[in-house]
Amino acid sequence: MADVTVKVNGKLRTASVPPETTLLQLLRDHFNLTGAKLGCDVGDCGACTVIVDGKPVNACLMLVGQADGRDVLTIEGLATRDQLHPLQKAFEDHASLQCGFCGPGIILSAKALLDEVPNPTVPEIRDALSGNLCRCTGYTKMIEAIQAAARVLREEPAEPNA
Amino acid sequence: MRAFEYIAARDSRHAVALLSEYGASAKVLAGGTDLLVEFKAASHVPHVVIDISRAEDLRGITLTEQGLSIGASVTHTEIMRSPLIRELCPALVDAAHTIGAVQTRNLGTLGGNLVTCVPSMDSGPTLIALDAMVSIAGPAGCKDMALIEFFVGPRKSILKPGELLVAVVIPKKNLGKPAVFMKFGLRKGQALALVNVAASVHIDSDRHVFREPRIALGAVAPTVIRAQQAEAYLEGRAVTPEAMAEAGGIAAGEAKPISDFRASAAYRRDLIAVLTRRALENICARAGAMREGG
Amino acid sequence: MAHKTEIGVREQRVTQKTLHSVDETLRLPAVTPPVTYPIETLVPQVRQQTPAVGQRVTRPDGRLHGLGQTRYIDDLAFPGMLYAKIKRAGIASARIKRIDTREAEAMPGVMAVLTGREIPVNSFGPSLKDQPVLADDRVFHAGDGVAAVAAVTEQIALEALDKIKVEYEPLPAVFDPLEALKDDAHKVHAPNSNIYATKVIKKGDIDKGFAASDHIFEGSFRTQMVEHVPLEPHAAIAVWDPNGRVTIHSTLGRITLGRADISRTLKLPLNRIRIIATIVGGNFGGKNEITQEPVLALLSKKTGRPVKGVFTRTEEFIATTTRHPIIMDYKTGVTKDGRILARKVRLVLDGGAYCSWSETTLGKACILSAGPYKIDNLLAEAFVVYTNKTMTGAMRGFGAPQVCFAYESHMDDIAAALDLDPLDIRLLNAFEEGSPSPTGQVLQSVAVKDSLLQAAQRFGWKEARK
Repeated sequence: MADVTVKVNGKLRTASVPPETTLLQLLRDHFNLTGAKLGCDVGDCGACTVIVDGKPVNACLMLVGQADGRDVLTIEGLATRDQLHPLQKAFEDHASLQCGFCGPGIILSAKALLDEVPNPTVPEIRDALSGNLCRCTGYTKMIEAIQAAARVLREEPAEPNA
Repeated sequence: MRAFEYIAARDSRHAVALLSEYGASAKVLAGGTDLLVEFKAASHVPHVVIDISRAEDLRGITLTEQGLSIGASVTHTEIMRSPLIRELCPALVDAAHTIGAVQTRNLGTLGGNLVTCVPSMDSGPTLIALDAMVSIAGPAGCKDMALIEFFVGPRKSILKPGELLVAVVIPKKNLGKPAVFMKFGLRKGQALALVNVAASVHIDSDRHVFREPRIALGAVAPTVIRAQQAEAYLEGRAVTPEAMAEAGGIAAGEAKPISDFRASAAYRRDLIAVLTRRALENICARAGAMREGG
Repeated sequence: MAHKTEIGVREQRVTQKTLHSVDETLRLPAVTPPVTYPIETLVPQVRQQTPAVGQRVTRPDGRLHGLGQTRYIDDLAFPGMLYAKIKRAGIASARIKRIDTREAEAMPGVMAVLTGREIPVNSFGPSLKDQPVLADDRVFHAGDGVAAVAAVTEQIALEALDKIKVEYEPLPAVFDPLEALKDDAHKVHAPNSNIYATKVIKKGDIDKGFAASDHIFEGSFRTQMVEHVPLEPHAAIAVWDPNGRVTIHSTLGRITLGRADISRTLKLPLNRIRIIATIVGGNFGGKNEITQEPVLALLSKKTGRPVKGVFTRTEEFIATTTRHPIIMDYKTGVTKDGRILARKVRLVLDGGAYCSWSETTLGKACILSAGPYKIDNLLAEAFVVYTNKTMTGAMRGFGAPQVCFAYESHMDDIAAALDLDPLDIRLLNAFEEGSPSPTGQVLQSVAVKDSLLQAAQRFGWKEARK
């Protein structure tokens, strides 16, 4: 068994799990944080994206031992019921999600982008989302929402209603 | 995944010692973007996984006497962001950018990409075009060799049991040498290369000729190869559009592409010719040294 | 003397006020006051704006999705829940000689194993009941399930699958639909013909039509097998209650149909089956029929514990329905200015190993194969054939996308050959208000020409053509 300590959404969490456990299994099965999803298990679809030490990664491709001692942000750590992160608010307002399964991964990839690039171009947004597949929406409204959220985070006034 | 033991190596010495101790029952894990995928599909996994992703001496990008040394556990994202690499061999940044997607680049490592040794690897061609060397640590000590000798066959590197790739070194004389990497895949992201071409060449500004050309081809042979006949053709030749097109044609002839469900061999040969020519044109355009044809 | 115990019951007057105060204490939503029901129902006129159309809508599920709080089937867990995995045949056509599950059953952590012969009625399907729950005697495609395991962890279930030994006798197989059409082809579901559904639409007289045509064009088009790839794989959880009723939480889309199929395969009365379909992570037609639900229900019955099954991404490709590849042969007779006088179409749908939704797909593809064009003389013949490949079923469009690709490409080819503007040739032939469809339906609300003209104007079609 591997004893791991991971800071998840600001709280130190510990677990004693088999060493071959992935970070995704740790989050979903042991910490009951089911926001990160199992879509392909091989790092292609991005539904399992979480932010580790500030960088978005596929949780299905990280062993718990590699996550030990690290800082993990999941979708559950972005907001509470009372206060949505601007990205979550923008995604809701722009109806950017349909089935929603890819949502947590996309939003976290977007957050990681905006943390580094406060005013991204559309090609930069597309590049940041290139590891997140969506089968429902066609991505257009996600890109709009990310641009809207970026404006909010830059504390700029909203664009006149498009 | 099936059960295995996990040990995090503190540094390369620790890793080599562990490899000696566990022998064939151990495998080295860096980013895991290839290894863990393999494990999930496999009916057998190694008894022990030795994680080098946080081994201190494998994570640096430093200028040494020999040149630019990139540690085996450096991730593709770190390559893209390294001020040294961006300044001294920006083609490597472009190559890293074509690998997978953001998430896989944050985990995947240069060492892992090279050791996994798939013919379509994206990091190999540029390094070959820059005459890169590799440092290998083993029970008997450290040794260096040319990267091109490191690749033996599909999914087969020259590493012997107990050996560990620790660094890639771009020789000092090639830092700042003009180089271009071009990848052709069926998508712009998360795509396997149909053809990879890396070209590196000096343009002699006085006589407008090519000097020390290197053309590396990927995904069109069992390993990354150099198009040595195309290189020989270019050496000392006048810089003209015809010469670059001709070099592309020669390079296409030197490759041994296969036909598979992604593309036919003929299509791949076509791509080699076009991408080689474009890579050379790109270098020329930047050097501003094109001499009018004829 | 026995001591009498006094049990006092306080009487309380229950009023709206006391109920409201209970709600307040428990923070439940307040009881909504009654509203007068609208007596007049709005009947929208054809092609008139209704109040809903054009309004901005906020999806009610958007917030929970963004919060990551939506619970899909794989996010649910029940006490004592086991995990099921299904062993896939890996061979396209075979007879199963022997299945030995003893080693798997003996594995620690394995709670039950299930094979095809334990299924009470081992056949189901939306129309033809030709699909087994688990292969019993015969394997018809490589993704056929041949055995299933329920274990305390998913990993143990996967490893147990390897320990199940299956002995196959390979049989001939047919993969190409045109091969499957031939009389001497291997019969997938012998003794039945491989052609399991046919549709023919005949209108007018194509021989006369072709004879009167100035030009005749032929074209052959093929589309490929497509997998829906919903981000969420097929998932289900089966839970029995002490009264012998099973509740199945599933990604299944058509739950009424699913209930009927589960009732049939498990020989269970309908009122003993409850299906709860929650928010699904993408369906697109691929989750329209049951897949593993009867397997999970039986494993759950055997073990006395809830059983969850989640398909791997590989199973999504090999063991769930896909879009029909279609081979479409077109022959069209036109006047020299491009007016269609006659059209002959032959469609051959690759119907995979089982019928699934092929009949619906066949029907739709056949009816739509002529395109939205006025054609007086038409012969459309469509066949769907069995092949030993992944079953083909419903996928958004149900046959329409394939024939649309064909008839529109064909139209472009004809326009190019006659040196006509592709837009003009369509305007010349397109349906109008009151045009009859190939099957005689009088069409209303026909907006083909309007749409083409508006689109052409918006995209600057004429300018680009100059």
